[in-house]
Amino acid sequence: MSVVTTSGLTRRFGAVTALDRLTLELPQTGVIGLVGPNGSGKSTLIRILLGLIRPTEGEATVLGASIHAPRAYASRVGALVESPAYVAGLSARANLVSIARLRGLPLARVDAVLGQVGLLGRDREPVRRFSLGMKQRHGIAGALLSDPELLILDEPTNGLDPAGIVEIRELLRDLGRNGRTVIVSSHQLSEIEAVCDHLVVIRFGELVFAGPMAEVMQRTRQHIEIAPEHAADLDRLAAALDAGGWSVGSIDGGLRVAAAADRAAELNRAASAAGVTLSRLVVAQDNLEAIFLEMTGRVDGELAHDRAANGRQAA
Amino acid sequence: MLAPVRSELTRLGQPRLIASWFGLMALGAILVNTIMVGFVARNGSLPPGAPGVTFPTRAQLEGASGLMVGLASASSLLGVVTLSMWAVATATDYSSGLIRLLVAAEPRRWRLLAGKVVALLLVTAAATTVATVVNLLAAPLAAAAAGIPTAAWGTDLVGVVGAAWVRLFIALSVWGVLGLVVAVLARSAAVAIATGVGYVLVVESLIKMAANAPSNWLLGTTLTAVASGGTPAVSFATAVTLAAGYVALGLFLASIVVTLRDVTD
Repeated sequence: MSVVTTSGLTRRFGAVTALDRLTLELPQTGVIGLVGPNGSGKSTLIRILLGLIRPTEGEATVLGASIHAPRAYASRVGALVESPAYVAGLSARANLVSIARLRGLPLARVDAVLGQVGLLGRDREPVRRFSLGMKQRHGIAGALLSDPELLILDEPTNGLDPAGIVEIRELLRDLGRNGRTVIVSSHQLSEIEAVCDHLVVIRFGELVFAGPMAEVMQRTRQHIEIAPEHAADLDRLAAALDAGGWSVGSIDGGLRVAAAADRAAELNRAASAAGVTLSRLVVAQDNLEAIFLEMTGRVDGELAHDRAANGRQAA
Repeated sequence: MLAPVRSELTRLGQPRLIASWFGLMALGAILVNTIMVGFVARNGSLPPGAPGVTFPTRAQLEGASGLMVGLASASSLLGVVTLSMWAVATATDYSSGLIRLLVAAEPRRWRLLAGKVVALLLVTAAATTVATVVNLLAAPLAAAAAGIPTAAWGTDLVGVVGAAWVRLFIALSVWGVLGLVVAVLARSAAVAIATGVGYVLVVESLIKMAANAPSNWLLGTTLTAVASGGTPAVSFATAVTLAAGYVALGLFLASIVVTLRDVTD
């Protein structure tokens, strides 16, 4: 069964098309990563699924029910959309109680979720005194209140320190293991890579990729990172390798050569033949970030939207 | 229907919000009683048409209902306080992003709006009670200080106090709905407060001065008439009917906007 389906889903805001005939199916499986450049349409998609905004065209279902009847699935979905929302003058507990009452939930759920996110000892304090990380945990607690089948979290590790990130990562893994589906939208691609079982990539409101994370990671390639002993030799080294047919890119203080580990010695000889001594030669594996940049063409979606809008105005 | 009301009441239970609201109501009741009783004792009554304020005559002040007449005089000031509090309670949902959470939890947006209105009416009732009690304490002291005879004030005490409470509650509720409607449209407490206060104190006064046409149907005039139990120009029944019309129109507009507008904040 699919937890989310969309068919030709389109949303326009004036001249900007935030979602462009998006068609996808998200399986009921663990943790799903939703990634894309800024302005790619991730937040718009999440808002449509939650009934906050309506599509201009197209259809979508959440847990089998149409988005035009969000009441049918609202009690089975929990969400944290963008920054955590709260009443600043109320305690963490009172904030959660107000949402529990709105959802008609027993107040015992408040204690349960406070414990789940590690806020049980601080729950009587006003949320305004919380650190950003604690506010984030409070937001996740709010999303977990109804013990939802589908959890949608927009940037859940925003503002967390490394320990907090690890904690939330473990929490997401646990949540995904217990028969729940968690959709995580994030810019932290290392987090997505570490936690997600499934990946969806969107760019300019269009689907670029949707599939198991294992399938994405099969696309990874090895590359070799090298640095000359003297920085002044960098340009000469790049030119020589380029002339020798190597695929070369720049990285901080060195070069990134698209080649597998078995060509490392050959690469070293080529550098030596060009009269350059290498001080560093490291074989590395592409990560999700490299694949993401390849898929999305290293484009900032918001800037691209601005350029498109300006172009239309000029025309 | 109870769930959105209980949820909203929990959010309204912020100590600072309640302390500000009730504190301003008490302060308003004390201030207006002190000024009004002193002014009437010295000068009789205000000239007609003074913006936003209606003072009783000395005879009215000395009569059986004189004990509670300060509440009617304070109604515009207390109305502005109520408008502001309803506007803050409404606009904060948008500025804090809480509306996302609320709509995702309860997609029937009209229920959220209805729950907010009912909860705010309950708190407004409590605030009206605070103003009434403070008025009961402040009026005799102000009268004694100004030398106003109060022999008639004990006559039909329950009836007089009850009627004053009901009239003030109706007037304040309409002020509150005005604040809610503008806050829903503007999604900003500051804009809502400025619009509400600016309309009653400036726009309505200008209309009254500029036009020879009847202006008794204007909102501020109507609510002053409601709080006073009717005026020579507008009967209580007419004022309540007009106020009900304003509320119905305002809530209809707010429900349309809340239901159809995107939640993009």
